Amino acid sequence: MYEAVHAHPDGDSTVARFAATAASAGYDGVVVRSRSDARPDVDRDAVADEYGVDVVDGVELDAADVPQASGAIAGLRSEATMLVVRGGTPELNRFVAESPRADVLAGPMRGSGDVNHVVVKAAKRNAVHVEFDFSRVLRASGGERVQALRGLRKLRELVDHYDAPFVVSADPDSHLELRAPRELLAVGEEIGFDRDRVRAGLEAWGELAERNRHRTSEEFITTGVERGRYEEDS
Amino acid sequence: MKHLPKHLRPRWRYLAVELEAWPDADVSQGDFQRSVWFAAQNLYGDAGSADADLRVLQFSFADGSGEALVRVRHGEVERGRAALACVDAVRGDPVRVAVRGVSGTIRAAEEKYLGRPGEPAAEASVAFADDSCRAVRRGDLVDVDGENGFVGATDLDC
Repeated sequence: MYEAVHAHPDGDSTVARFAATAASAGYDGVVVRSRSDARPDVDRDAVADEYGVDVVDGVELDAADVPQASGAIAGLRSEATMLVVRGGTPELNRFVAESPRADVLAGPMRGSGDVNHVVVKAAKRNAVHVEFDFSRVLRASGGERVQALRGLRKLRELVDHYDAPFVVSADPDSHLELRAPRELLAVGEEIGFDRDRVRAGLEAWGELAERNRHRTSEEFITTGVERGRYEEDS
Repeated sequence: MKHLPKHLRPRWRYLAVELEAWPDADVSQGDFQRSVWFAAQNLYGDAGSADADLRVLQFSFADGSGEALVRVRHGEVERGRAALACVDAVRGDPVRVAVRGVSGTIRAAEEKYLGRPGEPAAEASVAFADDSCRAVRRGDLVDVDGENGFVGATDLDC
């Protein structure tokens, strides 16, 4: 199971500190999803070796509107293994769900964000993983938390109905906001999620990373053209 | 009042909990207990939190790290775990709460999960982000005192 984290300078803890904490919490790896203007410059392999967890190179795009997102997605796609694009308005959510280059649609219900069947179907068609963002369930209270729970429920019903791909994250900004997988399963169960679904959502980060690493490996000659098993011809 | 016969006494589970915060955090047992009750009440309401009956039995905390023993009704362990996960701050100090393990007796929980001598915290001066900063070091974990509050780092970063 993986967690996607905002590492310093975007968040308050470095990649190494997140990796150390994630290892003690029982995660298999972390996805670094620092925002595109504050990406950490670290030796990911050294961190992975030191703490025994996988460290995935990712980036989060937090665009103000669709034209800005459109330009930035093309630019960032080749720079990172994992491209997470933050939604937050109905237009942006739909645009991200319709972008096959994006891996994850993050926080679709934040702010004025909303989704409908069109967005979720587009996300499924383009294999864009919709994020269940637990951050405000874990760290907000009162009306803000009620809104977050309402948003999660709507999103869950749509994602379940159309069997769309999804990820689960607590969206931590510092190692103190990281929660262990078992804790997230317990919280998920309490707010109406199935335990297996939350586990699948945490595992989906790792599956996405593996898929993208395979796609950018030397096995692929060019986009969509993979070296097969029968190359050596007599 | 005379205590209950054994077969009528409530059965408990004991959660051994690990706490972590920034080095300047000041967390007392009373404050932590309040935060746990609030978290439980906010998550599953008065009825649910009375059922879970979370109580902090043991507590120790110093220099940004600590541990606690939390009692929960038998059969409500997962709810207790969920409430503890929702404790994000104690009196304004952000904390990380992680369940190390669950036991059926206080003694087993203590022996298996608590009382690990933590690394002592020491003030140090470290090089972080091309700058010399004051920091608090615990083992290979380093909390750097930066301009905008603390930054969590490790020996690999400094």
